[in-house]
Amino acid sequence: MSSIIKIENLLKTYDQRVILDNINLTIQEGEFVCFVGPSGEGKTTLLNLIGGFIKKDSGSIKFKGNEVIKPMKECVMVFQEFDQLFTWKNLKDNVEFPLKNAVGTVPAAHKKLSKKEINQLSAKYIKMVKLEGFEDFYPNQLSGGMKQRTAIARSLVTSPEVLLMDEPFGSLDAQTKKELHMTLLDIWKKTNTTIIFVTHDVREALTLADRIVVLKDGIINKIIDNQDKDISENRVDEITKLL
Amino acid sequence: MKLCGIMLNMKSKNVFKKYRLKIIWIILILIIWEAIAKFSSISPLAFPSLELIGKALVQSIISGEIINQMIFSLGLILMGLILAVILSVILSSLSIINPIIENFVDTCVSIFHPLPGIALLPLIILWIGTGSKAVVFIIIHSVLWPMILNMIAGFKSIPQVYKKIGRNYEFNILKIIFKIYIPASLPYIIAGLKIGWARAWRAAISAEMIFGASGGSGGIGWYIFNKRVFMDTPGLFAGLIVIIIIGILIEDLVFGKVENSTIKKWGIS
Repeated sequence: MSSIIKIENLLKTYDQRVILDNINLTIQEGEFVCFVGPSGEGKTTLLNLIGGFIKKDSGSIKFKGNEVIKPMKECVMVFQEFDQLFTWKNLKDNVEFPLKNAVGTVPAAHKKLSKKEINQLSAKYIKMVKLEGFEDFYPNQLSGGMKQRTAIARSLVTSPEVLLMDEPFGSLDAQTKKELHMTLLDIWKKTNTTIIFVTHDVREALTLADRIVVLKDGIINKIIDNQDKDISENRVDEITKLL
Repeated sequence: MKLCGIMLNMKSKNVFKKYRLKIIWIILILIIWEAIAKFSSISPLAFPSLELIGKALVQSIISGEIINQMIFSLGLILMGLILAVILSVILSSLSIINPIIENFVDTCVSIFHPLPGIALLPLIILWIGTGSKAVVFIIIHSVLWPMILNMIAGFKSIPQVYKKIGRNYEFNILKIIFKIYIPASLPYIIAGLKIGWARAWRAAISAEMIFGASGGSGGIGWYIFNKRVFMDTPGLFAGLIVIIIIGILIEDLVFGKVENSTIKKWGIS
C-alpha cells in the first residue's frame, strides 16, 4: 500500500483562533480512517482542507504527491445535509449527474461516456446502495437514509480515489445508521476506495474504521489502530476518555 | 380500461368542482349585464347587450381580424419576454460572480423597477420612435427588473452544499450557473416569469394603444383603440373578452402545466 494523502505541519486559523495545529498524518490507499472528536474540534475543517474546499494557513496537504489547492474530482465529498441531492432530478438522474456533466471523472474513461455506459454505471451503484426500484423517485419522496444512500451512490459512480464523508449518518435513527454502516463497509470492500469519515460517535468509528484519529483542542490527540473492530464497552470508554 | 374510465370521471368531477363556483359567478355577472342592457335606459352604444358583443366577437374571429391582431401582440410579447429573460440571466449571473456588478445591477433595479413602462413613453418615442421596436422595448423594461430580482433571490437561496458539489466536480462558473444555479432557482424563475408575463401583457396593450399600427398590424391594443374611435362598442368588448381569455389560458394552462411538471412534481413549490 502506498500513501494517498500526506499532511505535514498543518495549521488552520479562523479570526486568529487556532482551529488545527501541527497536524501530521499519512493515509494509505484503500484505508478507512475516521476522525473522531467532540463538536468544534476541527474534524470537518480538516476534511474540508483535505478536499480543497478551504485554504490552510501553513503546512502541506498532498494528494498523491501533489499539493491540494482546490477541490478535485478524485476526492469526492458526501455531506451531512439531506439537501445535497438535486431536488429537480430523480434518484437515477442524481446518480448520473457527475457522469453526464463532468467528463473524465471516471478514471478509465477520459472521454464522454455513452448513454449505455452511463446507464450501466448508475445501475451498478444504485444496486450497491440497495435502492433498486426507486430510480424514478424524487428526493422529496425519499427518506433520510435513502437520500444518504443516493448521495453515496452519486459520489461513488465516478470511481473517485478518495471518499470524504462528513458525518453522513449524523441525522439518522440508530436502525438506519446500522444498516448504512453495513452497506458502506460492503461497498468499501468491493471498491477498495480510500474513505475518510468524520464522526463524533465513537461506536460508529469503531464499527467502520481501520484507524481512528482522535482530535482534541485542534491537535491529533491519538491515532488508534482498529483493525480488529473491537466495539466492546472498554474500548468505547478508552476512546471517550481521550475526547 | 374500466379503472381508467373511473379515474377520468373522477378527474373531470374534481375539475368541475374546482371551477363550479367561478362558473356560477360568471353566469350571474352575465345575467346582471344582460338585464342592464335590456331594461335600463343606457344607450347600447355605451353598454351593448351580450348578443351584440357575441356577434361582434364571432364576426372578428371569422374575418380573422382579431386573431391576427392577437398573434401580432403575442409575437411582440414573446420576443420581449425572450430578450428580457436572456438579459436577466446574463445580469443575474454576473451579479453573483462579481460584487461590483452586483452593486451596479442592484442600483439599476432600485432605479428602474418602480418606473412604469408607460411613463417612459415620451422618451421612447424620442429615442426609438413608434412601432414594434418601441413596444418590445417597453415589454423588456416591464419584465427585466422583476425577473432579475427573482433570479438573484433564487440564486441566493440555493443550499451551499450545491455549490460545493459543483466545485467538487471541477465545474467552471458557467457550468455551475447553468447546471446548478438555474435549475435550483426554478421556483423563483417561474414566479418571476409569471410577474413578467402579466406586466408584459399590460405594457404591450397600453403601448399598442398609443403607438398604433405599423406595417398593417397594431396588435390587440390597437384593435380595441380603433373600435373605440369608431364607436364600435360591441367590437371593443369582443377585444376585451379575447384579452381575458388569453390571460386565463396562459396563466392556467401554460404556467399551470409548467408548475405541475416541475416544482410541484419535485415537491419544492
